[in-house]
Amino acid sequence: MRVEDPCAWCEEILQPYLDRELTDAERAEAEGHLDGCEYCRKRYRFEEALRRFVRQAADEVMAPELKQRLADLRTPLL
Amino acid sequence: MSEVTPEEGRRLAEDARDRVRFEEDALALSDQVYRVARRLVSSREEAEDLMQETYARAFRSWRSFQPGTNLRAWLLRILTNLNIDRGRRAQRTPDSQPLEEGDYFLYNKLEESTRESNPDEERVVERLSQDDAVSALSAVPHDFRDAIVLVDIGDFSYQDAAQILDIPVGTVMSRLHRGRRILKRELADRAVGAE
Repeated sequence: MRVEDPCAWCEEILQPYLDRELTDAERAEAEGHLDGCEYCRKRYRFEEALRRFVRQAADEVMAPELKQRLADLRTPLL
Repeated sequence: MSEVTPEEGRRLAEDARDRVRFEEDALALSDQVYRVARRLVSSREEAEDLMQETYARAFRSWRSFQPGTNLRAWLLRILTNLNIDRGRRAQRTPDSQPLEEGDYFLYNKLEESTRESNPDEERVVERLSQDDAVSALSAVPHDFRDAIVLVDIGDFSYQDAAQILDIPVGTVMSRLHRGRRILKRELADRAVGAE
């Protein structure tokens, strides 16, 4: 157990937790802490919302002209 | 002119059919490939050039794609290699760069600036603008950004990202970890100003 500063430990493992890269034991330990700690829980939820936000903000649709130019690169059928 | 034997004719027809199928499959993924390409480079023009070069190369070397493996990852491997060949990697992050803040840093900064006690996390995210997110992402140094774009935007596994970038999985993980912290620092600077 990381009793000295569980919030600092939780901050350290925020990313691997959300990437589902923790071992079962580590995840259980993290969830045990998150259940009882609103401070960390809010920050974990924020991180999830942030990832969704960045993903949506960064989304840009390809121009139809480019799509056509790519299709034109196909090998002509004889 | 020599006559094409029936055997050769059949082989040529099969080859043409496989090629057409490959080209259609690759084109069907172009929206997804573009979404990643667009954030690997800084401008729309660069992304469009890169897409065209990538598809031209993919169609030329389609035989080296192993059917049944991940075509989207294969296309992005070509794309990132072309991107490197173009010398866009001149920017390197010196190790002497100041260490980024911890993972709670952005939340803490934004929460301080909401003037609301105990705001919920969606309200805190609303402090960020879409333009800030895009410019913060492009401010992250290439090596770190590539990993973030492939995993967080392209939805690739660490394993796929490692293959695309031709680096070990452990390096993908450490670049993601550090890159996301750099991204948060950049977001914080834009949302609440550098301090």
